[in-house]
Amino acid sequence: MNDYILEMKNISKSFFGIKVLENAQLQVKPGEVHVLLGENGAGKSTLIKILSSAYKKEAGQIFVNGVEVDFKSPKEAIDNGVSVIYQEFNLNPHMAVYENIYLGKEHLRKGLINKKESIIESEKYMKLIGLNVSPTTLVSKLSVAEKQMVEIAKAITTDVKVLVLDEPTAAITDKETEKLFDIIRSLKAKGVGIIYISHRMSELVEIGDRCTIMRDGAFVSTVELKETSVDELTRLMVGRNVSFEKIENKFIDKDQVALRVENLSFKKLLKNINFEINKGEIFGLAGLVGAGRTELAKCIIGEYKTVGATIKIRDHLLKGNSVPETIKNKMVYLSEDRKDEGLITIHSVKENIALPNLLKFKKILLNDKKMINTTKEYINKLRIRTSSPLAEVKTLSGGNQQKVVIAKWLCLNADVYIFDEPTRGIDVGARDEIYAIMYELIKNGASIIMISSDLVEVMKMCDRVAVMKEGQFVTILENDEHLTQEIILTYALHGGNKNEEC
Amino acid sequence: MKNVSVKERLKDKDIQALALYIGTIAILIILSVVCKLLGKNFLTVGNIQNIINQSAVIAVIAIGQSIVILTGGIDLSVSSVVGFVGILGGLLIKGGMPIPLVCILLMIVGLALGIFNGVFVSYGKVPAFIVTLGSMQIIRGLTMVLNSGKPISGFPQGLRTITNAKLLGMPVSIIYLFLLYAIMITVMKKTRLGRWIYAIGGNANAAKLAGVRTKKIELYAYAIGGLFAAIGGIFLLSRLAYADPNAGMGYELDAIAAVVIGGIALSGGKGNIGNTLIGALILGMLKCGLQIMNVPVYYQTIIIGVTIIAAVFLDKAKERKAE
Repeated sequence: MNDYILEMKNISKSFFGIKVLENAQLQVKPGEVHVLLGENGAGKSTLIKILSSAYKKEAGQIFVNGVEVDFKSPKEAIDNGVSVIYQEFNLNPHMAVYENIYLGKEHLRKGLINKKESIIESEKYMKLIGLNVSPTTLVSKLSVAEKQMVEIAKAITTDVKVLVLDEPTAAITDKETEKLFDIIRSLKAKGVGIIYISHRMSELVEIGDRCTIMRDGAFVSTVELKETSVDELTRLMVGRNVSFEKIENKFIDKDQVALRVENLSFKKLLKNINFEINKGEIFGLAGLVGAGRTELAKCIIGEYKTVGATIKIRDHLLKGNSVPETIKNKMVYLSEDRKDEGLITIHSVKENIALPNLLKFKKILLNDKKMINTTKEYINKLRIRTSSPLAEVKTLSGGNQQKVVIAKWLCLNADVYIFDEPTRGIDVGARDEIYAIMYELIKNGASIIMISSDLVEVMKMCDRVAVMKEGQFVTILENDEHLTQEIILTYALHGGNKNEEC
Repeated sequence: MKNVSVKERLKDKDIQALALYIGTIAILIILSVVCKLLGKNFLTVGNIQNIINQSAVIAVIAIGQSIVILTGGIDLSVSSVVGFVGILGGLLIKGGMPIPLVCILLMIVGLALGIFNGVFVSYGKVPAFIVTLGSMQIIRGLTMVLNSGKPISGFPQGLRTITNAKLLGMPVSIIYLFLLYAIMITVMKKTRLGRWIYAIGGNANAAKLAGVRTKKIELYAYAIGGLFAAIGGIFLLSRLAYADPNAGMGYELDAIAAVVIGGIALSGGKGNIGNTLIGALILGMLKCGLQIMNVPVYYQTIIIGVTIIAAVFLDKAKERKAE
């Protein structure tokens, strides 16, 4: 028996001449939850992709159960007990649950798929992890948490030795998280080595045993989580101290209304929303996933068509339902979904920043040189880590991609910014930089609506918090010394009525 | 602040384009050497002019096709537009309408046919392949109906002169061709319309949230596609001085081949329209060179097919390496 179920030694890898991993290492014991911690761009994902052989390593060795392996394909890795569950699931939404579970390793009888056996077998595994849906349900009909469980079921049908979970709780509720943790604990008991990637500190301490910290593509340290404080972890990860204190907002001007929304309803998703925000204010939108926060943002900017709503920016009444009109009046929306809505990832940093600002660079024809210079300005100002203004955005890390999104709207010099989950999937260090940018904005007279599921962040940043539930504003709370995360949560879950069962 | 160096630009973008240029020159050299060995001349001014002149129709259609493909769409109906414009133009000229007026009218017709496609693709949300597959049939059918499936010939000399007149020692069609490319390269690189078209092909959702009127711009792209198909049709009508209701059949695939060889991704959002011209010229060069070498037609088809796959295969080398 070997001490480690997985060992990765001196792993190196570079992309287009840039070293992204240098002598990275990872040692996972059987039956432990091993947290992999690091900022975006620290090389966690690359390390995992090398493990699953989605990327080829340039140097280094990988041992599973003490035996050196060199997988030629992700399939080979899975067959040898190394499974990775990525943030973006690898499921076919148009196929049934059981078909997904046995995709690539179908039960055959005389060369044809044995449907009956597949269903019975997959049901066994589904029961094991408590996934209570019919095996013949289409995956597209499942919730995010259920899809995740299908992925886990898929992984445990083979004799899984090492299971990697990449940000497994990013899109699921607390209740679902508890269920996930139960599954993780039962896998742990079976001696599976679990590698767990997440940015949520509270979660790591709850579920993790040991933790390997990476920074700038290199190994920093492996520590026992029970013996290490969150501050210490953060310091190891970022290389400096960070704070979660609410910072006083000196820039709010209560006499000037920046945005007023009246009578906004949308299909069955939003009901009669009314609010106004002041110049220099950061206005938070809290609530559970599905409470209608993103829908509200999209209605305000005119992406979703509403009837009868009044939206005023400063004193200007919008005709409504037109994104170009909203942008022209200096209100912008930074989507929670960078890849699908925020950026054109196959285009360069320059193209992305220039897109909503083309008029700025235009005499008769567009001035490319001016675009590049402006892009460089923002690269310096926001400290965007990129090889060049002409590098494709997809080559940047998550935090740097988010900065590109911010840069393109900063360049427009807007008055109202709607940030939708601005720090989702972004590490602590880059978060601080994004908060600093937001403060810079209100200092210069802009106003911010911030949609966030991270209550720590809401408490730190917002002056007022509107709590949404089922498409309505339950309440609008002042963020003073009396406000706690529990109060916000109670409103989000029960609409302020604690006796009601959720 | 220092400018982005040539090296930086090369590193990030133009490796593919470089491969295309080297490939083009390689094909040119191979063809001329082989022809020389066979005791024939390939690399003569007359021959080069001939190649460009013969490629002009496809090259012009490919401009529109590039723009449509850059939005992430496709236009199969261009071939039928070529045929339709030919017969309609033939009838109008025979009917005594002045040739310049006919040309303008035909361009408007092309634009209108493109708008027809565009409306269904952008506002109707029908996949481009389906819409243009349908309109390809419809327009070809209309062409047949228009003159009962019969060709038209016996045109006045003026029809030929609009593309065949000599200017600076070469047929004006070549000058038109380069002019059209120069205009559209500028539009795509240096105007908002161009950047918007790239943005839609790159990520329509993100473009929409950045304030681009995506539906309208997509419609414009198909309109431009129709316009250039019509111009291609006018080129063909003028060069042959003969209107055939079957004219243009298969041109949609040649145009797509030119676009793809030129390095524009079929998924849209990426590529350079200037390279489409090179793509069209490579096809023209091969056809002409192989003819001079007396390679049988069947083998020519095989070689052209191999070239298309090889071009894209080389194009993807960078991506394969990244994995």
